[in-house]
Amino acid sequence: MLNFARFVGTRAVMALITLVLVSLAVFSLMELVPGDCAERYLAFKNTQGSSIQIANELEAERQRLGLDRPYLERWAGWIVGAFQGEFGDSCILRVNIANLLGDKFWLSLAICLASLVLAYAIAIPVGIIAAASDNAFLNNSLRVVSYLGLAMPNFLLALVIMLFATVWFGETLTGLFSDEYRDAPWSWGKFVDLLQHAWLPIFILGWSATAFALQTVRALMSDEIGKLYVTAASARGVHGRKLLWGYPARHALGPIINSLGFDLNRIFNELPIVALILVMTDAGALLIEALARSNDQQLAGAIIFLLTASIVALNFLTDVLLAALDPRVRKSIVN
Amino acid sequence: MDTRQTTPLGDDAASQRAKEAYFTASQSQLIWARFKKQRSALVAAWVLIILVVSGVFAPFLSPYDPTVAGRDKDYTNGAPQLPLFCDKNGCSLRPFIHAVERERSLATNFRWVTTINEDERNYLTFLPKGDDYTLLGFIPGDRHLFGVEAGKIHLFGTDEDGQDIFSRTLRAVWTSLQVGTIGVLIAFVLALIIGGVSGYYGGWIDSVIQMVTDAVRTVPAIPLFMAVAAFLPAETSAEARFFYISLILGFIGWPTLARRIRTHLLTERNQEYVLAAQLSGASSAHVIRRHLLPSFTSYIIVDLVISFPYMVLSETALSFIGLGLKDPVSSLGVMLQKATSADVMLNYQWYFIPVFFFIALVMAFVFVGDGLRDAADPYADANK
Repeated sequence: MLNFARFVGTRAVMALITLVLVSLAVFSLMELVPGDCAERYLAFKNTQGSSIQIANELEAERQRLGLDRPYLERWAGWIVGAFQGEFGDSCILRVNIANLLGDKFWLSLAICLASLVLAYAIAIPVGIIAAASDNAFLNNSLRVVSYLGLAMPNFLLALVIMLFATVWFGETLTGLFSDEYRDAPWSWGKFVDLLQHAWLPIFILGWSATAFALQTVRALMSDEIGKLYVTAASARGVHGRKLLWGYPARHALGPIINSLGFDLNRIFNELPIVALILVMTDAGALLIEALARSNDQQLAGAIIFLLTASIVALNFLTDVLLAALDPRVRKSIVN
Repeated sequence: MDTRQTTPLGDDAASQRAKEAYFTASQSQLIWARFKKQRSALVAAWVLIILVVSGVFAPFLSPYDPTVAGRDKDYTNGAPQLPLFCDKNGCSLRPFIHAVERERSLATNFRWVTTINEDERNYLTFLPKGDDYTLLGFIPGDRHLFGVEAGKIHLFGTDEDGQDIFSRTLRAVWTSLQVGTIGVLIAFVLALIIGGVSGYYGGWIDSVIQMVTDAVRTVPAIPLFMAVAAFLPAETSAEARFFYISLILGFIGWPTLARRIRTHLLTERNQEYVLAAQLSGASSAHVIRRHLLPSFTSYIIVDLVISFPYMVLSETALSFIGLGLKDPVSSLGVMLQKATSADVMLNYQWYFIPVFFFIALVMAFVFVGDGLRDAADPYADANK
């Protein structure tokens, strides 16, 4: 038990270090963008018609935002705030980022996690069956399907589905909510409405994730299936589904659980682009908005940090889960 | 080693020779022998070669300049024109297309309407003179593989500016290959250095490097690309943008390979030949470069082939959202940007033709990579 607690502790410290490193990278990136928040804000204000003496105002604005302080100090301030869920104000919109993101981030995260669940709900049974069967046709067609999933970028799939939806149903499958629920507070009706819209992005994001997961499951299973302990079990009279799930599958699933965090990473990757096509107003679309249109570093940094934090958290959770199931994992890190 | 040893008996000399050939074959010969046995990988390799060649010789193979300079202003948003041998007036041995006429008048409600004149034939010509180009960057030329006698031919149709989609598609394949290659090369060098150092020294150096690697691996790449790509000012020239995008792709793509190399070196560095090299006074860099990495070459090559499609996909995604390559450069993402509106999807489906080339390119890479992976695995036969 003590051993397990030590493992969890070490792993948590490692996760924290990763987060701090990532935050330093993200913060430096934000700093490297030519022009700082004060300049951008004043330039923005100028286009709104209020003519300000830029040179005088700039220093005052910099002081107010604390931009005159040294780099590391500002980074420390940022990271401490970030761990408390406080990211300051957006550069251009001048609203609190935590308020601006609010539900949107959790919505995006929920959609990504749902895609992940969908991917493995399909990939694990199908992959195990494919590895166990020696049906060449089944194996080859699975191979082609999963390669197609890899080769066809998600945004293409989204485009094609939109095309068919427009032609056949005369209906656009865009957005996450119907008009009447968009700004409404959370209720059962809004939740149902969300489910009616969210299946499409979940399916699209899950598409290539499934293809990838399928390949991994199949490869891991075919490695395990020929091993001696499986033969031994089948010699003892265990067979069929019981043999597959009780012996090789349990071993094959370890590495899969371990890599869940990186699968989530892959899904996050696709999120902004799919969001753009489906006109979803979640964090992914906000990220594109922040980066491509308004160049809002504070907002972009906050979103990237939150995305990464979720991946680190998932990695941490899966490692702890694995360690609880498999004592060998504990040893590998503690010693 | 002398491979021409005499065999003791004459009757099984042939099988003996085959065995000898097997045991004395170099690593690459063995891989090639195993690769040849996989039909799908071989087919994919041919597709890949054809695509690469058509990419390299795109300026010659395609009839028109892919930029606005080569546009056909009389045939915008035009449907694909397939060369015919027969029409209602009979057949001819020489392929032709029908002439098109564009008209705007009271009868057409003052909109441009393109009609096909089925009585007028435009015969295909071979090696006509056309737009100037430089092949491979230094061979100037103005001959194209094919063209038509009058007007222009558009095998895949045209886009809203009247640019030939066929010409652009071939260029886009080439662009993707170039960006991918540069990206993969940068990622490769970084992975070799970082993975090599991490695995060779081990200990705390390894721990620190692994922590950094994990941090890089954890950040979702596309949002990070987006953040980096947003640095590029809007007025950056197409060439500079191209270069930066490849650079960015390379700088983010190294962790997987670096990790694999590190794991390999960690197990390999305690071997006796490494100790021997160290005792002979070889420097660490020398040991890594000349002794450790070569033992891993086949895996590294396979990894490069497999990571290639991801570079291409990232480039496409970036260009698609408008942060990657921009218009004068033809790339799939750039071309598809125009295909997002419902109008295009409903009326001008030929905008999607390049997608099939692109999927073929990525699939070919994945199949070849998979075939190479199976072929490079020395235990592949033992498992059967």
